[in-house]
Amino acid sequence: MTLRAALPVGLLLAVAAAQLTLARTAGLSPWKGGGFGMFSTTDDTGRRRVRVFVSAPERSEETAIPPSLEDLARRAAVLPTDAALSRLARGVVERERRYRRPVDTVRIETWRIDYAPGTLAASTRRTRDFVYRVDTAAAPRQ
Amino acid sequence: MWTRLLRPASEAGGVPDSVLTLTAIILLLRPLEVWWLVPFVLALACLSLVLRPVRRAPITWMLVAGLVAIRIAAVWPLSDNHIYLLAYWCLAIGLSLSGPAPAATLTTGSRWLLGAAFGLAVLWKGVLSPDYMDGRFFRVTLLTDERFADASLVFGGLSREQMALNRQFLEPLPEGAELLDSPPFVEPPRLRAFAAAATWGGLVLEALVAVLNLIPVEGRLLAARHASLLAFCVTTYALAPVAGFGWLIATMGLAQCRVNQRALHGAYVGVFVLILLYSEFPWTGVLADLTER
Repeated sequence: MTLRAALPVGLLLAVAAAQLTLARTAGLSPWKGGGFGMFSTTDDTGRRRVRVFVSAPERSEETAIPPSLEDLARRAAVLPTDAALSRLARGVVERERRYRRPVDTVRIETWRIDYAPGTLAASTRRTRDFVYRVDTAAAPRQ
Repeated sequence: MWTRLLRPASEAGGVPDSVLTLTAIILLLRPLEVWWLVPFVLALACLSLVLRPVRRAPITWMLVAGLVAIRIAAVWPLSDNHIYLLAYWCLAIGLSLSGPAPAATLTTGSRWLLGAAFGLAVLWKGVLSPDYMDGRFFRVTLLTDERFADASLVFGGLSREQMALNRQFLEPLPEGAELLDSPPFVEPPRLRAFAAAATWGGLVLEALVAVLNLIPVEGRLLAARHASLLAFCVTTYALAPVAGFGWLIATMGLAQCRVNQRALHGAYVGVFVLILLYSEFPWTGVLADLTER
């Protein structure tokens, strides 16, 4: 095989190896990332979600994801790394400040749906619990 | 170097024009969805369809590959897998057109790309995903994915009411919660058989495509390679809602045809059009409506 024929497949294999590593170590959905894991598992984008909680003195509540943050939320759900969750948290902080609402901490939970073997009974499972403090660096928590 | 990338490759003994044309059509049928990239990709696709020198210039396909790669990076990690394959494929075309023996280089590239992609798909399904091998994936997906709903009604023998109840059953409850009266779950034997056929049929066919593309074959096994790829396209994309993947696979199969294999060439073009019809004509929906009457 010549280098010209080998280069594309070499790239494919390198990306797939990275995808496999991220899926095993960082919670990347097998459907995404270029590893060709689509249609292999129920752990797809539609069955993952994030929940965002905002807190400040005299305030602690879950907040809905606004359309302007949906893209960041989707990325964080598919690959819930500290970087992706921090980006989403910063987006939430900026939005809260725009509306002049106090915010000290943003907590983000990532969840996925599991189905029991045999019965298919559905249950939700929390996969990450991430805390972002506004005045300090992000503090991940499992 | 630059003149080689800009110079159109000769057609005589080179990459068939149909492979390049179909790849350009794929770009037009499913643009890249990132607004600041779409105009450039569409312009390149249009120009390559209309102007032969653009179509046969290596730089065209390397630019497209670069734009697709930028798209993947821009929306990371949300791109579907066929977008990655599209990038590799365009790169393979560009590299083939820029060197000696372009047809042979692209045939080898196509074979290895298909073998690797299908091999990885088999690895995920057969080894890394326990919920695929025990049948859960298709049992759940046939009921919850709207794109498969009509097929489940037609081939699974479900009624719309049963489908709605099953979807309720498959809705997860908040952590720790339990319903007093859980909705019934109806799974007719036909639906279980349909899920099993999708699970095992898909896996076997994908494994066959992977193996036959990864090993060098001749004679009957070469015919089997094409037959498995065509069979995969005809059966999978009748139901699977990812026409972009199907078109790409059919075009990559076409690139492996020899000049004198006219019937095979026609079969791949026919399958390309068939996938287009599958994606635009809601045949399972029409059948579901007919069977309900």
